[in-house]
Amino acid sequence: MACPLHYSPCMVDPIFQSPNYQLASKLLDVSVLRQEAIASNIANSETPGYRRIDVAPDFATELRSRINAGDMTAATRLEARLTEDSNARSMRPDGNSVQIDSELLQMNRNMVEHDFLSEVISRNIKQLRLAITGRAG
Amino acid sequence: MNLISGIDITTGALNAQKTRLDIVAQNIANTQTTRGPDGRAYQRRVVSFETQLMRQQQAAGQSLQSVKVAQITTDKTPGQRIYDPQHPDAGADGMVQMPNVNLAFEMVDLITASRAYEANLSVVKNARQMAMKTLEIGK
Repeated sequence: MACPLHYSPCMVDPIFQSPNYQLASKLLDVSVLRQEAIASNIANSETPGYRRIDVAPDFATELRSRINAGDMTAATRLEARLTEDSNARSMRPDGNSVQIDSELLQMNRNMVEHDFLSEVISRNIKQLRLAITGRAG
Repeated sequence: MNLISGIDITTGALNAQKTRLDIVAQNIANTQTTRGPDGRAYQRRVVSFETQLMRQQQAAGQSLQSVKVAQITTDKTPGQRIYDPQHPDAGADGMVQMPNVNLAFEMVDLITASRAYEANLSVVKNARQMAMKTLEIGK
């Protein structure tokens, strides 16, 4: 986001524009999206023919290549989307590819990821507050 | 944006599993019912689920799907016929038509349904914790 003209020496924006901050907020959105996908998978764990969905695997590869290319704006502009998980094998006669235990494990893992990312964002804001007030907390 | 993400998906699933538990309870309650309102032995009910489209992803991705009870059908397989001439519902030949409820099937169904319910509840719990964590950003 560009700095508004009336704050001429813009000091607040760089904190919110740091690549780490922007990436963390992007990945936080992705973890919320993944939580929705897992909710959908667990809800449909007994629906015949349902195929599990997940965040498209090309998101991670694309993100990595954009980061390696050093283009942070392009990396943060990347949108994640949900796709059918083509790697999931169906072990059941009804064609459903949800395995409830692995879904629950992924859900827990996703929550730890979400906790971590929100902590990163929180720390960024706390740093800003520390800079303004001169004291932590 | 939905704060507690995916909650509407899980609500549908919880409702569906609860209906299934109710039907299992009804089947187990009627294991010995030889005369229903129609004068015939009870026939077990079967719940079938169907997915419900919640919302389409904008960028041509996969859409999110919830689940709901499609229909409750009666299992038409004939129940056991036992010989019990003293029974008020016995036929002229002394045979009584029993319901086609198999307790073992019902118990398995009961456990599956309650486990699925628990799994969905833990999704809700998780989503809530994530939402609370999000609200704590910057505090």
